Amino acid sequence: MDFHFNEEQLMFRDSVRALLERDCTADVLRELWAGESGRSDGLWSGLAELGLTGLLLAEEHGGLGMAEVDLVLALEESGRACLPEPLVETVLAAAPLLETLAAGGGTPASVADKWLPLVAAGEARLAIEHPANPCVADAHVAELLLLLADDGSLHAVARAQVELTRQPCNDAARRLFTVDWKPGDDSLLAKAAGATRLLDAAFDRAAFGCAAQQLGIGQKLIDLAVDYAGQREQFGRAIGSFQAVKHHLATAQVAVEFARPVVYRAACSLATGHTDAGLHVSQAKAMADEAALLAARTSLQVHGGIGYTWEVDLHAWMKRAWALEMTWGGSAWHRGRLADAVLADIDNKPREGQLQLQGVN
Amino acid sequence: MKILVTAKRVPDPETTIKVNADGTGIEEAGIKWVVNPFDEIAIEEALRIKEAQGEAEVVIVSVGSADCQEQLRTGLAMGADRAILVSADNPDPTAVSRILEKIVEQESPDLVIMGKQAIDDDSNEVGQMLAQRLGWPQATFISELELAGGGGSATCVREIDGGLETLSFPLPAVITADLRLNEPRYASLPGIMKARKKPMEEIDASSLGIELGRSVTIVSVQPPPERAAGRVVESVDELIAALQGEAKVL
Repeated sequence: MDFHFNEEQLMFRDSVRALLERDCTADVLRELWAGESGRSDGLWSGLAELGLTGLLLAEEHGGLGMAEVDLVLALEESGRACLPEPLVETVLAAAPLLETLAAGGGTPASVADKWLPLVAAGEARLAIEHPANPCVADAHVAELLLLLADDGSLHAVARAQVELTRQPCNDAARRLFTVDWKPGDDSLLAKAAGATRLLDAAFDRAAFGCAAQQLGIGQKLIDLAVDYAGQREQFGRAIGSFQAVKHHLATAQVAVEFARPVVYRAACSLATGHTDAGLHVSQAKAMADEAALLAARTSLQVHGGIGYTWEVDLHAWMKRAWALEMTWGGSAWHRGRLADAVLADIDNKPREGQLQLQGVN
Repeated sequence: MKILVTAKRVPDPETTIKVNADGTGIEEAGIKWVVNPFDEIAIEEALRIKEAQGEAEVVIVSVGSADCQEQLRTGLAMGADRAILVSADNPDPTAVSRILEKIVEQESPDLVIMGKQAIDDDSNEVGQMLAQRLGWPQATFISELELAGGGGSATCVREIDGGLETLSFPLPAVITADLRLNEPRYASLPGIMKARKKPMEEIDASSLGIELGRSVTIVSVQPPPERAAGRVVESVDELIAALQGEAKVL
């Protein structure tokens, strides 16, 4: 079996990287933080033109009908660029959920037929509420929100029909909201029993997406620290020449390198519908989270006092790593999920059929 | 309308270049290779003409080793219709112009668009030599292009020292693109997937019946001298004195 990415997948990664290096620079990020929405329609439509927003969607919805393996390198790049757009929520969590529901016809089909082509074209973003997350990310720029009613049923609600209250977040780029709204028969997509299975699948895809982004974030944090350690001199030498510095950076790099194939495996498992895909995602999320956090801690340490300043770009990636670790299940929760499965196998007991997502964080 | 564009394989401008051990070229191991950025601008311009006219065909050609297929695939993924790889071992600009002359005779394009120069050797020769061999009008270093007369003629703006020059000429012609002609698009995923199925013809340069020997020999390649370390001055007066007396920039 050949585990290499093919020429097309690498070429797509290069295109996404080039676009983000041009349009999602540190200066652009700072401008977006200061803006009201914190988002860029131009950046989002640029990603759509490359095919990113419709990559997982079926051709009948304007998509490309491709899989997570084709997406994972682009997600890594989005982390490397600290992209603030709701790629995970829209492309991985909400849109595929809507598409799965649409197969049953009725209201979900008409909602999908209306909104998914807009997502593929970069003309709409989606937001999704999930028990794993206390707030709804990017609800303020989402044209359509998938929301959970108190009875567990899933609803599709236009932004104009909800009231948003912004919640604080340590990441200046991340916009989190609580949502006040009223469910109705016309907004119902799925009752609780049907919604749970779909939300579990959305959880796994989103956790995988965060894991892939954490790889890019971790790598960027190491790159920033290596660059700084090569310039900053102490005792007449670049600080990167001292073992106390370079060994720490090497340890962080090893953590990222060890997490990378695990994330790629999760992509493959999701794409092929592997029975243990959820566990592979949890392995990926736990390892990528921990690698990114280690890279953040090491990078901050290497930068020293200047790393704490607003003017140095380091904090953008560091805070994103912190925020993503708390999103779609923290590394501790994902390790717990793995432990439960391993212990169930040892005790020869059936594994839990559903995720226990209350109190994920 | 048929447009022929070139795509030279060159080191990524972001790559750190090192001179090889015997000082005859660069160390190629570990280098990332890309389409010459000026050729990318040429491809983009051809695609814009095609999109504006609807009926045009864009043919992309590269001269060099089999590795140039990678750069041709990039051009196809951007939207070119088909590609031609001419296999040749380290040709110099004169040989490339001879090869392209033969390709133009085979393809009979209405327009040839090339980068004004390649970023590896900065020769800035092939476009001019090709136009001379074909006996076609040429417009080099163009920053604006407009076709007229149903594609029978063109008007170009060139950036020259201290201003702009506007040229008008009949087609067919050879045009070389400058930096500000356009901003090239990135290959989209649908474009990348389509590129896999687009035709790529391979031609051995030795089959073209032309002289391929180098007309010039690279005697040596040297890295630029290392910059001297800067120094901290104690006062504004000392800085001004240094800028006037040493750097002589004031």
